[in-house]
Amino acid sequence: MIVTFIFIILICPLASFTFFAISSLMGRKSSRQDLISTFAMLIAFACAFLLFMQVLGNPSIYKVAGASTHTTDWIQIDNVSLPMGFLFDSVTSIMLLVVTIVSSLVHIFSIGYMHGDPRYPRFFAYLSLFSFSMLFLIVADNLLGIYIGWELVGLCSYLLIGFWFEKDSAANACKKAFLTTRVGDVGMFIGMMMLFTKFHTFTLFGENGIFELVNNLESSDLTWLSIAGILIFCGAIGKSAQFPLHTWLPDAMEGPTPVSALIHAATMVAAGVYLAARMFPILTDVSSLFIAYVGGITAIFAATIAIVRWDIKRVLAYSTVSQLGYMMLAIGAGSYVAGLFHLTTHAFFKALLFLGSGSVIHALHVHHNDHDDGHHDDEHSDQPVERDGIPPEQDMRNMGGLRHKMPVTFWTMLIATLSISGVPFFFSGFWSKDEVLGATLERAMESGSAHYYILFFMALVAAGVTALYMFRLIFLTFTGQPRDQGMYEHAHESPKSMIIPLIILAVLSFPIVNKWSVKKYIEQPGQVHNHLAPEHANQFVLYAAAGSADHHDSTSHTAHKGHSPAHNIAMGLSIFVAGLGILLSALFYHWKTFSAETIANKFRGVHRILWNKYFIDEFYDGIIVRATIIGAKIFGGIDKYLVDGLVNLVAIIVNYIVAFLVGLFDNKVVDFLVNSVAGVTWKFGGRVRRVQTGVIQNYLFVILTGVILLIIIFRLLV
Amino acid sequence: MSNITLEHYLLISSILFTLGVFAVLTRRNAITILMGIELMLNSCNINFIAFSRFVKSPTTVGAGEVSLAIEGQIMALFVIVLAAAEAAVFLAIILSIYREFNSISPDETNTLKG
Repeated sequence: MIVTFIFIILICPLASFTFFAISSLMGRKSSRQDLISTFAMLIAFACAFLLFMQVLGNPSIYKVAGASTHTTDWIQIDNVSLPMGFLFDSVTSIMLLVVTIVSSLVHIFSIGYMHGDPRYPRFFAYLSLFSFSMLFLIVADNLLGIYIGWELVGLCSYLLIGFWFEKDSAANACKKAFLTTRVGDVGMFIGMMMLFTKFHTFTLFGENGIFELVNNLESSDLTWLSIAGILIFCGAIGKSAQFPLHTWLPDAMEGPTPVSALIHAATMVAAGVYLAARMFPILTDVSSLFIAYVGGITAIFAATIAIVRWDIKRVLAYSTVSQLGYMMLAIGAGSYVAGLFHLTTHAFFKALLFLGSGSVIHALHVHHNDHDDGHHDDEHSDQPVERDGIPPEQDMRNMGGLRHKMPVTFWTMLIATLSISGVPFFFSGFWSKDEVLGATLERAMESGSAHYYILFFMALVAAGVTALYMFRLIFLTFTGQPRDQGMYEHAHESPKSMIIPLIILAVLSFPIVNKWSVKKYIEQPGQVHNHLAPEHANQFVLYAAAGSADHHDSTSHTAHKGHSPAHNIAMGLSIFVAGLGILLSALFYHWKTFSAETIANKFRGVHRILWNKYFIDEFYDGIIVRATIIGAKIFGGIDKYLVDGLVNLVAIIVNYIVAFLVGLFDNKVVDFLVNSVAGVTWKFGGRVRRVQTGVIQNYLFVILTGVILLIIIFRLLV
Repeated sequence: MSNITLEHYLLISSILFTLGVFAVLTRRNAITILMGIELMLNSCNINFIAFSRFVKSPTTVGAGEVSLAIEGQIMALFVIVLAAAEAAVFLAIILSIYREFNSISPDETNTLKG
């Protein structure tokens, strides 16, 4: 039954895409592609919901990672077989549910948002393909299957980010996203192959799966395993936009806003976290610490950049990067559950934030068009100008006071903001963020490792900064006085198809839904170091033996988590920093007690660094891109002059020598033979023709001679 | 005087035939060639007659009897008639050739030569 449902979930979006592909090939535009795609996603959602009910019915079975696999032979080459199959456990089920919910809502939202776009049907077809890829990635039971889904997701993100490819910025952004994630994918592929050469299988769970075989490794293999783990995590760094490969994600905001919601909330970036979580059992101390550091650095790094952005979507983009850092940090800190929990809650509130910002942009953008059509001459001077390359309808400096015009958008976005900021008790984000912080602090206390104290501190600061920039967004957009009167007057609440997804997502941002779904139903799988128990384990590096033992007994581990002192401390501190962040934000942007400009001027250097995103893009442009271009030019020159020259030289030499030889052979040998045949025939003919004298008497003489000869011969013979 | 035997006839006939052949092969005159041919034909006739005289017909001759084999003589008559006809046609052709080429040498009537 599970397999059937998974099949339906996969086939629905794929069928919708195939339908579009076939009808386009036949030259017909499927005018109702939007409804087909949306309907397909809703069916997939229904199946995912039924599967989720299945898990709720048997929590004890499905909470074990890799509880149920359904594998079948796929490729067989000599004695290497690559099976393909589905994996089903509570993690899969929750991910399926999250993806299908967000994807369905994004589909519905897009009906309103993308209305009137010249490539409207294609947009929905791409969305469907994207959903299919992500769902396939989730249910695949082996690394190869995950990799296939992984690359498909990459392709779809390329297509969707570059959906408005007429714009240069969008065309560049999609290339950037594709190439940057590819850098990570190379690492992931190498990691996969390392595992494959060792274990001769891609399968994760089960008797002959990687996670079982990894227990047979010697302690001396730990370094090797750490390298493999880090390489696979490189894929996640690329896809989940972790430092230093995060640069593609903010640029990916060039895509239509629903795409941003889909890519940056539920699918593509979640794929990285999902992968890191799935590979959890093979993470060693070193690779865990690496992941935790990448996550921690990303969290604080992206959050600080977000403070100074004016583009509403870029704020959310950096916020996403930062939140993904949290998830990675959780996984690195050894709390698989916290990572996935934060992934789930984040999927909902971040989708809500993106769709909400889409709603705002939509409202202001429509105004922009009306403006052009209606009062072309008299209000021309009021036309909002583009500053710093930000489209006017996305620029928060043009907004303000929109609360009155767009109440539903305001309230739903406020809920999401409260949630992401970690406002206590009534919002899901608080609980999941607390899990992450708590897990980190707990790990720090258990291991006594300075690394984890540093990471905890980074995460805590990031939490405060998150509250700061999110409330800055809310204050700048929705409260205060309108800063662009023309835009404000024409702004309006979005149509129902856009409002309803917002409301649904707002409901999902409350903790009842998420707490109920995630925490109780996921069991943390054991990690490799528990089984290997290296005798010379360096206590300072990571896990103490006590920690490992505690880890091993993971059911109790998750259960007592909420009551541990680490969690209480973490909770208290996180409430404090969130409050501080909100307060600062309100002082600057709501009550205007302090002026943000003054501070920015006072710390001009810091502001410049933040405004330029720590110059990472410039670094890449200056060093890597330029080096690549110079390298390409050098190699191009070598190709053009050296290689081509050599080839041409060889060609000339060959041409002359061979042509000469062949010509010689032709002239001397072949012609000689032919001429000889002709000459011999000619001469022989010349001789022979003399016999034909034309004198009858000669003929008669010959005849007579012949007769006489015949007679003589005859006599002799007889 | 010894008897004239078959060998004598055959000898005469051979000499005549050889002379005919010689005439045909060597003469440059068409009429002489014709005469050579006639010689050859008549040497054949001598052969026919001689054989009809000396060879006993196995069907008609009884033991110890000498009888004529009439077939040889009949053949000789045929040959004479044939020779006459041939001479007539040959002379007619030679006349035409002479009118055309002003010559009756076979060497000069060579306009069909390739």
